[in-house]
Amino acid sequence: METTTTIRKGQAINFKNGTWIITEAQFVNPGKGSAFTRCKLKNMKTGQVVENTFKSGEAVELVNVQMQKCQFLYKDHEGYNFMNNDSFEQFQLSEEVLGNDGKWLLENTELYATYIEGTPIGVQLPPKMDFRVIESPPGLKGDTATGGTKDVKLENGVMIKAPLFIKEGDMVKVNTEDGSYVSKAN
Amino acid sequence: MTYTNQNASILAKKSSQIKSQIRTFFDSQGFLEVETPIMVKIPGMEPHLEVFETTLEMPSTLENQTPKSLYLNHSPELQMKKLLARTEKDPEFGKIYNMGKVFRNGEFDGDTHNPEFTMLEWYRYDSDYTEMMSDCENLIAHLTRRSPELVYQDKKIDLVHPFPRKTVNELFIEYTAIDLNEHKSYESLKEKALALDLPIASCHTWDDIFFTIFMNEIEPHLGKTKPIFVYDYPASQAALAKKSDTNPFFAERFELYIGGMELANAYSELIDEEEQRTRLIDEQNQRKSLKKTIFDIDEEFLNSLKSIKKPCSGIALGVDRLIMLLTDTKSIEDLLLFPINHILKN
Repeated sequence: METTTTIRKGQAINFKNGTWIITEAQFVNPGKGSAFTRCKLKNMKTGQVVENTFKSGEAVELVNVQMQKCQFLYKDHEGYNFMNNDSFEQFQLSEEVLGNDGKWLLENTELYATYIEGTPIGVQLPPKMDFRVIESPPGLKGDTATGGTKDVKLENGVMIKAPLFIKEGDMVKVNTEDGSYVSKAN
Repeated sequence: MTYTNQNASILAKKSSQIKSQIRTFFDSQGFLEVETPIMVKIPGMEPHLEVFETTLEMPSTLENQTPKSLYLNHSPELQMKKLLARTEKDPEFGKIYNMGKVFRNGEFDGDTHNPEFTMLEWYRYDSDYTEMMSDCENLIAHLTRRSPELVYQDKKIDLVHPFPRKTVNELFIEYTAIDLNEHKSYESLKEKALALDLPIASCHTWDDIFFTIFMNEIEPHLGKTKPIFVYDYPASQAALAKKSDTNPFFAERFELYIGGMELANAYSELIDEEEQRTRLIDEQNQRKSLKKTIFDIDEEFLNSLKSIKKPCSGIALGVDRLIMLLTDTKSIEDLLLFPINHILKN
């Protein structure tokens, strides 16, 4: 198995009896010690998210992972159904695997599926996605400069905090990792 | 919430107000604000810090025309202690502070690091590190207008005094059941880290293993609901601090954590010239083995310690991180108007 000493976001590694994808990698340095990389790791089978901090230069086992373009078709009682855009092959992933990501899927959403040895084991949402706002209470007047926010409802049913100037019918860009508002979309 | 471009000016104004309140806090207690140089010959001996090097060209009036290597300062610590050492002759230097830019090469790409950042340091003659803890509590109270709590990234942090205090060893026992007093050797601590299933293949020293355990098992819990003073660090990680009288394996150093962020680092200052020399040489050797830039021993600094007749204490506090906490800003990149990632892209 190949190893690496440069741990980066997007890599898949073998760690603690599982295969994990690094979803976040941050530089940290405790000052009086050597540098570290603080990672968020997502288990590719169970979707479990853990944090681990690796000493910079620590060797980890890389897993060869393929990403293939696919689109979301529909959800039924067994899970989420997708189609591979190249092979037109359909596959299903359980609610457990999708976890919190499931709520961001709209019909025909294009995204990447992760394959390990030919088997689809998960999907990677685009980090930012556009959604239409379907409910938005009117903003308070004259409060736009203070960074005030309000709760708005998106077409997928998710509530997010958005600036006061966002109106019903607007398209907004949302960070799919934490559900935060990014900007108005065109 | 994260500040977006449209309210960058509001955040800039708050930052400026906080810095001016910091100055008021120290000025009103009779501290003297001192300036220290950004370019120095010896930027500090911490084994792991990477340095920015620059070259000083000599003017034609000088006989020696050889350009001189200078470095951007890691911290004003050595200059501050040289000034503190003048206290017996000039008591005005007995309480001093400095707020300015410091530099750490290679340190960015995370929420809490930028290669240049603003550091606040203050020092007291005739004092020890417990007084620095009180100073921290009072400074936070001053900046929050004695608010009983602070909300950072949707988490409430209780600011009621006194802030909890725990030794490093108490935290190791609490979170990992490892008593460091029983695991002072590399092999012994390594065995414990392996039992915790931590990746330590590249940890070649006791301190590397210590930090891998600390960063994974302990630090994520620190300061989440209340600030915490973590004190008495292994002496190997505090070369400028006085060793503990009761257990010299540890030194009188503390760190203040708030909201999971390492905010300040303080010492009861080591004032014994000979012991300080030994410990600086030890750090110099560590830099050699890590293949880092080697600096001379700062003889002016060692010499100045002879003039210090009473215990002293000092502290360095990351001002950007403090402002992030007080303005509920997630990342240093959202706070700074020109973070290094912005500079690199534009």
